[in-house]
Amino acid sequence: MENEYYPWGGEFTACSPNGCVAVVILNIDYTPIEKVAIYGPLKTENIGVEKIVANVISNPHIRYIVVCGDDIRGHRSGSSLIALNKNGIDEQHRIIDAPGAIPYIENLNDEAIERFQKQIEVVNLIGINNKNDIDKAIDDCIVKSPPSFGKPYIAIRITPEATILLDDKRALHSKIVMNYMGKIKKRGK
Amino acid sequence: MFSFAKEQEIFDISGIKIGGQPGLYPTVLVGGLFFKGEPDFDTGKKQLQNMLDISKKTGNPAVPDFFIRKEEYIEDITNFIESIVPKSHPFSIDIIEPSLKVKTLEYLDEKNLLSRAIYNSIHVGIKDEEREALRKHTPEMAIIVAFNPKDKSPDGKIEVLQNGANLTDAGLLDIAKNLGIKKILVDTAAMAPGDNSGASIAAIPVIKEEYGFPTGCAIHNVVEKSKWLDDFKSARNPVDASSNINIPLFGGDFAIFGSIANADIVFPIIAWQDILISEYTETYFGITPDDSHPRRKLF
Repeated sequence: MENEYYPWGGEFTACSPNGCVAVVILNIDYTPIEKVAIYGPLKTENIGVEKIVANVISNPHIRYIVVCGDDIRGHRSGSSLIALNKNGIDEQHRIIDAPGAIPYIENLNDEAIERFQKQIEVVNLIGINNKNDIDKAIDDCIVKSPPSFGKPYIAIRITPEATILLDDKRALHSKIVMNYMGKIKKRGK
Repeated sequence: MFSFAKEQEIFDISGIKIGGQPGLYPTVLVGGLFFKGEPDFDTGKKQLQNMLDISKKTGNPAVPDFFIRKEEYIEDITNFIESIVPKSHPFSIDIIEPSLKVKTLEYLDEKNLLSRAIYNSIHVGIKDEEREALRKHTPEMAIIVAFNPKDKSPDGKIEVLQNGANLTDAGLLDIAKNLGIKKILVDTAAMAPGDNSGASIAAIPVIKEEYGFPTGCAIHNVVEKSKWLDDFKSARNPVDASSNINIPLFGGDFAIFGSIANADIVFPIIAWQDILISEYTETYFGITPDDSHPRRKLF
């Protein structure tokens, strides 16, 4: 069941499947209480954010994400996750107003992002490192005992379509060909 | 083991040659310092000297890559570069935060170090303030990272280099050239395991044949991100170091191999790989290795 609920992999620990809180840990050594549904670190503002979104919307019981610790320098992954929840993405798939270096969401469709925005409320604890403060914020969420959001949403990873199809399976790549010795040249030249 | 029809650029930075046909020059090895915690300058000095010594033995040029995480480290690290890195030696600076990139460029200019500097890196996240700083304080050489979040295949990597893939107002190569950067290295952007990580290796010959620029990547990052290897703890370091052989094998010119602490393993591995390649490319393509090549040092 866990595999079905958390299909995208990543560095996380799944705890209570019916828990309503996911915890994103930035740059601190912290282990949340076992009542949370899932917790783990976040490093990158693109692929890392995508994995979190895909994983949390696959479990409708999760209604809160607590983002705690010190944001990742340069990547600003925590702030980018929060920006995604608040603002969504633009036509270029850039997270609107995200402060990270390369905050692009490319492997999730619009429906998955919309679902993330509706299902999840973010508790912004960026800058908070104190264990007791974080524990309390998690408890406050749990006490609210929110209802499940409905059915799990299994986000399918979008894979780019191949633009060139070739019959020549020996080719190194669509743009180059190689002779029997290893001499490479551009295809068609 | 390849040879390219496209004429290959060879760039010189402080006497180190990078690029060209496979087998001509040794693979340039970029080892990183100060990734974690406060910079430890005593250890850094010893590690740097060790890397330079082993570089001299194998023939593979060494470039120290200084990771700058915080503003308060800029002055000390640039002082370290000025006083400890040999005066005729290139170095690179690896910075994520745009504001720190800007400040570091100012420091390097003030200290007259830009002619030895490799800027690591320009990518699709480039900000206006960074462009302005690069125009004003132009480094001798820059690494362009061909990361395309929309398409991690070799085609996607070419797209960001060529036209910016709608993520930037122009292709990254044109952006760099318009900023006055003449010597360009292309980093094929190694991704995490499971995220088309092999494309960064497959892209090397594609990009070299397309543009002729020196090309490489930090393929060890793939190993570093592997959780699977946690089950094989003693293998992690050898796998990390040996992953770099893919770069020269596919015609690449430089390897950003991670921590400088791994120099003892990485340099001999790559020197041997360079020898294998040179023996073939000289026989079949007539590429006579440069005098600095490991093939001329180890026999």
